[in-house]
Amino acid sequence: MAATKEFGATGAETTVIGPSILISGKLSGDEDLTVRGRVEGELSLTRTLIVEPSGIVKANVSVRNAIVSGVVVGNITASESVELTREGRMVGDIRSPRVIIVDGASFRGRVDMGNAEPRAANERPASQTRPALTRPVVRPAAAPPRPVVAARPAAAKPLPPAARPVVSAAPRVEPKSGGDAKPQPPPPPPQPVLVGEAGKKKVLVKKKK
Amino acid sequence: MANTIIGSSIIIDGEISGDEDLVIQGTVKGKISLKESLYVEASAVVEADIEVQNVEITGRVTGNIAATDKVELKADCRVVGDVRAPRILIADGASFKGNVDMDVKDR
Repeated sequence: MAATKEFGATGAETTVIGPSILISGKLSGDEDLTVRGRVEGELSLTRTLIVEPSGIVKANVSVRNAIVSGVVVGNITASESVELTREGRMVGDIRSPRVIIVDGASFRGRVDMGNAEPRAANERPASQTRPALTRPVVRPAAAPPRPVVAARPAAAKPLPPAARPVVSAAPRVEPKSGGDAKPQPPPPPPQPVLVGEAGKKKVLVKKKK
Repeated sequence: MANTIIGSSIIIDGEISGDEDLVIQGTVKGKISLKESLYVEASAVVEADIEVQNVEITGRVTGNIAATDKVELKADCRVVGDVRAPRILIADGASFKGNVDMDVKDR
């Protein structure tokens, strides 16, 4: 009897199903449940289910939290979280806002984290990015042709905004071309006048550096 | 010793079987069969047929009890049902209604 009292004291809010125990039927409760044996049927708790490595649960489970280190065959619905640890083995569906499956765990079934948020979040950015991409692409594509035809600098193609003001563009082009000094030198040759100016200025910039 | 505890807020509707001690503080309906001892504590409500080796009852039990060794009805327990065991102890203060059969030879 002493033993029972001790266990009663320590297990005040914890129920333990020992390794040789088989429970078949319905089990419900408002406290933590540790399963080291077998539970078959239906299991519903308002708190945490812990299936230890020796535990086998063949049941539809509805709990707040579930930590599975043993074997679960059946569906788990958890209002908070389901965790499959390294030793956990499960076949069945999981419905829970938080699902943790650790490396080493074995699981076959569906996972439903409930919230439509992730799906909605994917749809929104996708629909936003598409127009965002298409619009800017269209604008620069339409814009460059005008200055290219009017201003003719082939070197200016990569820098459409600077291309519009041809004469006044020179100073603006310098810093930009200065940054891209190596890639730009080849294009200039076809334009003798601009090349000379740009070349001298580039050289000056280099000397300053 | 007692590895298995059914806590006070737990309700089991079905069958419990096993080879180890079982402590019940909650509610169990159905059937209990153990090869070891069963402890039905004060907060427990058991509506089940019980087959065990030993049973100590402090709570409420409705159902037939068959023990291979001993049945102990403690003070403050309430038991309704038939009891079969070679040794049956009924403490002062226990409430019991049912048949008693001690004529079970070494099972």
